[in-house]
Amino acid sequence: MIAIRADRSRLWVVLGLLAVLQFAVRPRLGYPLIAPDFLLLALMLYAIRSRPGAAALAGFLVGLAGDAVTPARVGAGALAHTLVGYLAAWGRAVFFPDNLFINGVVIALGVWIRNAVQLIASGTGPGGLTTQLLVWAPLQAITTALMAALVLVVFQRWLDIRLEA
Amino acid sequence: MATGSDRSLSRRDSALFFACVVLSLVMLARPDWGATVTGAIRGSVLRPFLWMQARAEASRTSAAAFDILRSERDSATHAAEFLPSLRDENQRLRSLLGLGARLPGRYIAAEVLHQSYPTDGRTLVLSAGKRAGVSLFDPVVSAEGLIGVVRIVEQERSIAMTWIHPEFRASAFTLPGNVFGVIWPGAQVTGTEQLLQLRGVAIRDSIPEGTLVVTSGLGGVYPPGIPVGTVIGQANEETGWERIYVVRPAGNPASASQVLILKTTPDTSLVRAFQADTTP
Repeated sequence: MIAIRADRSRLWVVLGLLAVLQFAVRPRLGYPLIAPDFLLLALMLYAIRSRPGAAALAGFLVGLAGDAVTPARVGAGALAHTLVGYLAAWGRAVFFPDNLFINGVVIALGVWIRNAVQLIASGTGPGGLTTQLLVWAPLQAITTALMAALVLVVFQRWLDIRLEA
Repeated sequence: MATGSDRSLSRRDSALFFACVVLSLVMLARPDWGATVTGAIRGSVLRPFLWMQARAEASRTSAAAFDILRSERDSATHAAEFLPSLRDENQRLRSLLGLGARLPGRYIAAEVLHQSYPTDGRTLVLSAGKRAGVSLFDPVVSAEGLIGVVRIVEQERSIAMTWIHPEFRASAFTLPGNVFGVIWPGAQVTGTEQLLQLRGVAIRDSIPEGTLVVTSGLGGVYPPGIPVGTVIGQANEETGWERIYVVRPAGNPASASQVLILKTTPDTSLVRAFQADTTP
């Protein structure tokens, strides 16, 4: 029990670190539309270790925080993150082996789905949607996946995963 | 076979998921409720994080400003040594770029706190708020032109609605020509560039490509003379009584890192303040 609690607290430390990176480091990483999304990465790392209900709730809260800082259409971010969190937790039994590449692909997919749902829910027109989903979302998905790979390698013991070569 | 405990957990997961989805949909349907909740989140949980981001933005722009100063110093040294005539020209161009110095009224400089969400750009979190003197409906500009208008003001920060937002409208006219119309965010996107539309142009008026569009001052929000963009053609979409023109925007909210929040009165013309940056 103590070991489980210790593992959980280490996970929270990593998630807290990612939240700090989102606000303190991300602004320095270049063009905002393609810089990695540390908060979504934190959500995915939490979701794949949690039950779908808890992951959906975490997604809702992360999305709400996002809606607070981009209030173009309040509720769109909450909806998108809820779906991504729930799907990530629900699907982990199917496609989450301890493989760095698979983890990266799933996290990249999470970014793309989040962007798609958020843009559709906030009423983006077809022109803007195409550009966002074919240009910016894939680029942000790649940078987030690369950052995820780095985090997984650096914190693999804390996150309790045995990555395959 | 699933045990009773598993079924109970599964039901709880589904209930939580649907509750979150329903709450999200309620906020989408009732933006006023959502605005209250998100305002409270900005003022409490996110406050230290936004403070951290404002510091990061400030230090980043300070570093950028240092680099610019250093390169300007190097250029000036080079010019002084080899091409003295260019030094004067360089100085003149630099002084022309100082939009702040040319603005006839007061303004507040603010950093833009960009977020990681795909809708970032429609609204921008600005690092200046009520404490710095920002008020509701203050126009927001960059050195290139119009960015948007302040829609939410809090003590330490404010949120601007930009021209990318689907609800953005501004009265505008062309220079030269004085053809009036209303600026809307355009449906067209060329490559990665979002465009604007100048709607409501009388069917008798035609605007040549390359014409500058500036705010007209009508409506009492934007002072006249802020560059909005340049006409690049006529839209296919035409109603019987109006022409619609496609406008390439002057300022880009998605990449703006610093903006000016104008405190000038709505009847003060800013044509001269921006002229040096917009005339070819």
